[in-house]
Amino acid sequence: MKMTIEEIVKILDCTKLTRDEDLFVRDISLCFASDLMSDVLRFGKAETLLLTGITNNQVLQVAEIMDLKGIVFVRGKKPDENIIKKAEERKLPLLTTNKSLFDTCGILYQNGLREGVKI
Amino acid sequence: MNNEQSLIYNQLFEIKGGNFIDAGSASVNVKKTLKLIGIPSEIIYRVSICCYEAEMNIIMYAYRATLDFSITPDKVVLKFNDEGPGIKDIELAMKEGYSTATSEMREMGFGAGMGLPNIKMNSDEFYIESEENKGTKLFIGIFIDRKPNNHDKSGEIT
Repeated sequence: MKMTIEEIVKILDCTKLTRDEDLFVRDISLCFASDLMSDVLRFGKAETLLLTGITNNQVLQVAEIMDLKGIVFVRGKKPDENIIKKAEERKLPLLTTNKSLFDTCGILYQNGLREGVKI
Repeated sequence: MNNEQSLIYNQLFEIKGGNFIDAGSASVNVKKTLKLIGIPSEIIYRVSICCYEAEMNIIMYAYRATLDFSITPDKVVLKFNDEGPGIKDIELAMKEGYSTATSEMREMGFGAGMGLPNIKMNSDEFYIESEENKGTKLFIGIFIDRKPNNHDKSGEIT
């Protein structure tokens, strides 16, 4: 099962934080959810969509290291402008949703997406 | 260690402890270089994780460090050499979940005690030496042709 980031925007009622519309056609099939960057590095797979409540600069570095396809900030969190600007330069689409991490995962799972995890 | 192996690439980075603003930039640079040289993406991924975990350890705990990054025809090598408090008990630090991180580090999403075990898991060669109140040396080797890992060989850092 795959869906575009644009479809994810609709089902999670997201606000787009980055402007490059071309990036929202990216296909997503795997997600990983965590507020711990250490766990993203240890358990996450490459090229997933990250669902997180952490909005600092390290999220962007982890995205770069892990080739993340995009980030959904949950619980209405929003990184500051510098981070959004840097994400745009790195062609990393950022979204924010008011939903909780639990609901976000549940909705995406119900729509066929699965976890990109390595144990 | 294959010191006589011909070098394809070598670069030295300086990393400052406590510099959270630039944290991760050496690793992002290493990754870009590996991509440019055309190293297979699976190898890039493992090197990047090791490099970033080690870089974050330095940012969080050490005063300053150097990273000697090199590529030979058969492997990518990362040699970290830091000045810092050192690791009191390496065996304990290698256990998943053991951490001495402060609450500030944890707020940034780090300090889960996964760093060193994750480096070991993603590397083929892993050697660590540490002296309290002096610093830590870390040798990470990742084979480009994916030979099995070499972890049982606990050797000295040369």
